[in-house]
Amino acid sequence: MNLAGSRLPLRRAAQLALDSAMLLAVAGLLGSLVNTIRPETTRLPWVSDWDRHIETLAFRAGIPVTFLQGARQRVGDASTAILDARSSEEYAAGHLPRALSLPVSDADRRILDYAHRLTPDTPILVYCGGADCDDALELAKRLREFGFRDLTLYPGGLAEWREYGGDILEGAAP
Amino acid sequence: MIRARPLFIWLARLAVAAVFLGACIAKIRDPEAFALATHRYRLLPGGLVNAVAILMPWLELTCGAALLAGPRRGRAAAAFLLTAMLLVFTGAISLNLIRGIEASCGCFTTRADAAVSDGWNLLRNGALIWLSAAVFLDAFRKPARPEIP
Repeated sequence: MNLAGSRLPLRRAAQLALDSAMLLAVAGLLGSLVNTIRPETTRLPWVSDWDRHIETLAFRAGIPVTFLQGARQRVGDASTAILDARSSEEYAAGHLPRALSLPVSDADRRILDYAHRLTPDTPILVYCGGADCDDALELAKRLREFGFRDLTLYPGGLAEWREYGGDILEGAAP
Repeated sequence: MIRARPLFIWLARLAVAAVFLGACIAKIRDPEAFALATHRYRLLPGGLVNAVAILMPWLELTCGAALLAGPRRGRAAAAFLLTAMLLVFTGAISLNLIRGIEASCGCFTTRADAAVSDGWNLLRNGALIWLSAAVFLDAFRKPARPEIP
């Protein structure tokens, strides 16, 4: 029996584990070092509170989320209603094409203005100013209580839409 | 005469290394955006997202460099880690597709207007897994020096 031969794969596996650990260590050192010395504007803290991130909250609330490409698709789809959850003044200053103004603070009353346009099955995209606001999520939850079933949140909101060159319309709600 | 197998392994090394060296650039440049892309997979606990976003691109860089220019043992380890990473990435993208999450894969760009993941990402990853695994097996099986019979 060739014991030396049977040990060879084990020896190679041990070498592989050691070499892999070395690569991991080098990568860890480089990553840590660069993150420490990079400008504060691009430095990432080792831990952030992702549990409070708007997308996590939407996920927990069972509200589907879409991102820029999905938002573009829905804005171009006439069957989808686009709802702006910000105040009427913010809406007038600039909003997504085809968006209707439905401030979350006044949703219970203003939703009646759109009763003729929306059915429980109308696909609805809700947005607000950007990832830092939760008005759109709150509006989506409220709309779900009203019985709307096809709701999608666009967490990037107006800020991301603008950043990537999307058309912005101005003017008060019709 | 050029032998096909060594040429294939050399091209596979080149391709996999180029992919990972290219993939790490955007992630290193904008770790916050990569952290968001990582978070969107909803697979990691919130406390680990940033650590992964900080370290993963450097692991891609280190392994890509080792695959391209490292000694045989370094190439074996790099190909082993890259194959493992590709398997994890492919599983994560598959889960996103199954769950209907309309997110981009965060593989080569962290821009918000990147294309949403689809079956093409899985096909591409499948090809990369094949190439990376071939490089790994070649480097792992090859003896470091001629063995005494």
